[in-house]
Amino acid sequence: MRKLWIVIRREYMVRVRTRTFVLSTVGLPLLLVAAFLIPAYVASRHTGHTSRIAIVDEVGGMAPAVEQGLARVKLPNRAVQFDVVSTIDRPADPGHVLGQLREQVRRGELDGYLVLPRDVLTDPKAEYYTRNPGDFSLTDDIGTAITNAAIGGRLTRQNLRVSDMEALLRLVKVNVVKISREGGETVERGQTFQAVVFLAVILYTSLLMYGVATMRSILEEKSTRIMEILLSSVRPFQLLAGKILGVGAVGFTQFLIWGIAAAGVFGYGAAMSPTLGSNDGFHLHFPGILWMWFAIYFLGGYFLYASLYAAVGAATSNEQDANQIQMPITILLVLCFTMFPVLVRNPGSNTSILLTMIPFFSPILMVLRIALETPPLWQILASVALLILATVAVVYVSAKIYRVGVLMYGKRPSVVELVRWLRYS
Amino acid sequence: MAGPNQAGLCMDAVVLDGVTKRFDSLTAVAGLNLRIRQGSFFGLLGPNGAGKTTTLRMILRILLPDEGSIQILGQPLGETTQDRLGYLPEERGLYPRMTVQAVLVFLGALKGLDEAEAGRRAAGWLERLEIGDWGPRKVNELSKGMQQKVQFIAAILHEPPVLVLDEPFMGLDPVNAGVVKDIMLELRDHGATIVLSTHRMEQVEMMCDSICLIDRGRQVLSGDLREIKRAYGRNTVRIEYAAGRDSFDLDRFAASVNRFGSTVEAKLRPDVEPGEILKAIVEQGVSIVRFELIEPPLADIFIEKVTGNHA
Repeated sequence: MRKLWIVIRREYMVRVRTRTFVLSTVGLPLLLVAAFLIPAYVASRHTGHTSRIAIVDEVGGMAPAVEQGLARVKLPNRAVQFDVVSTIDRPADPGHVLGQLREQVRRGELDGYLVLPRDVLTDPKAEYYTRNPGDFSLTDDIGTAITNAAIGGRLTRQNLRVSDMEALLRLVKVNVVKISREGGETVERGQTFQAVVFLAVILYTSLLMYGVATMRSILEEKSTRIMEILLSSVRPFQLLAGKILGVGAVGFTQFLIWGIAAAGVFGYGAAMSPTLGSNDGFHLHFPGILWMWFAIYFLGGYFLYASLYAAVGAATSNEQDANQIQMPITILLVLCFTMFPVLVRNPGSNTSILLTMIPFFSPILMVLRIALETPPLWQILASVALLILATVAVVYVSAKIYRVGVLMYGKRPSVVELVRWLRYS
Repeated sequence: MAGPNQAGLCMDAVVLDGVTKRFDSLTAVAGLNLRIRQGSFFGLLGPNGAGKTTTLRMILRILLPDEGSIQILGQPLGETTQDRLGYLPEERGLYPRMTVQAVLVFLGALKGLDEAEAGRRAAGWLERLEIGDWGPRKVNELSKGMQQKVQFIAAILHEPPVLVLDEPFMGLDPVNAGVVKDIMLELRDHGATIVLSTHRMEQVEMMCDSICLIDRGRQVLSGDLREIKRAYGRNTVRIEYAAGRDSFDLDRFAASVNRFGSTVEAKLRPDVEPGEILKAIVEQGVSIVRFELIEPPLADIFIEKVTGNHA
């Protein structure tokens, strides 16, 4: 046990002191936060100002109703989205007026102008001229305003008077409410999906990162030929276990740092959110039990994948060979992502249940399934049991390959040779 | 068999009993019996691929024998025996990005040393091997010879009662080889058993008191070096002669001849007396500076045994 501890400590200290560790610890969350925040930030900048527009009303008398509708559209900062600078009612010389407006838009005096054609009530098509046609949300708002005005116009023609079109046409909004197995209810605003993506990315990245780190570490000991000295003092299994535990401890440290930082950031964010006046931004909703399963599956998945990568490191003697042989393992991890839609669409289907039972997938997929829709406890326990069984088996096989492989240099072994290695004592 | 309590009397440091190791169809070591006396300087010899490194690796418990048993200082192989052995493998290597001091402390700790003690000893040995300033530097900044010395220190840091060295002088210049040799002899004088594996016969002749020659995994010759040489008899003559004569005929008397400039070593035919060859050379008009009867060089015994074994 003492020797195991010495090996673990060296693995840990050597890694934690490197620049790579510091960079990945600081860099990865920044990257992740950036990936979530930059699009939101850019989107919020995009609609961040009031558009000054003109309305050309060829119908006559319709512009005020449209203007009224547009006035209800607000920016996130509560200012109006549209400022109707002028309305031209039934222009005598439409060509001239439109030419003038176009010139104003070009000069930047207007953001755009809206043309309501004479037959808009019968042939519901209007045109919005702007320098920046990419903003679809603006078009939607304009469309809604004109539609409401047009409905009012059509009703008026049939001698029906409507004072508040908006109130009449209010759309029904469907809230999705998640019922958890414990019976609690939470209003779903996309948090579950965000949480699931977030968890999957973290699990995938860390399984890959630490798995490959274990493989590299073994390769280094082989290529520097220090392996033989180590083996004259330590059992191969102690060395393998020390390596996996040491690298795992580095991963744990990293998660701890991230966890503390995230708690700080979200705590600060929660404290600040009333003043920001928005709760639609980056929002995670993880129940405590999910964290527990996350931890269990991370540990199981880590030991499983780290042993697989360790076997690759032990069986090969250079980086190129190792990269080739490790491909199937990395593909297993990538497969988890491709099966993601199956789970999201129907977390309780037989396919989903099967997928979350396979030990190579369950570390990522079962956590997702739990986040989406808590499965029956027996399914979780069965998948954990299978994961543990598979991990024990893989560790056993890896240790055998490791025992023989670490002293083999040169040619990459074939599958037949690998099987033969398993029989050596 | 002597138990650990009677240590120091005449217990064997290393005992191999019918040890066999196979790799697939290849038998690397076949039924090897070996007794290495405590406090002796033992040479394990053999041509390339004879099974020397495999044998050493089994002694170190890096490989496990398929058959037979191994005892170190009266104990079967285990974690305790591993800690009582020091090992300098032929495949040299250290962690390149760790400091010299840290690597030595790590390897010492793995052999059961307290870390503070390992640090103190490492500093002392680095000083002794004249690389005292390099402790805080990274291993990959060291020259090959320096790394070699660090590795040697790693093998002896925990003062093992049995020291196993595979080609210890490889890559060392004569000065450093001398320093390392002195340390080895010094350790032996303090009671350590030293097991040396090498191709360099002159080193074995200088230092070893007993040897084992193996070929194709089998023992070909083993025992006390002087006795082996004596058994081969004093049937080799060394003749040093004045310059001027390039060659003279010895074929009538010698089974084999080795020429080194103005010196010739000739192994006599069984029926030839040394006097006859001396007389014949003088008659050929060679002016002799020195004529002596010597023990056969180990290299000759080695070649004879190995080629005989292959015939």
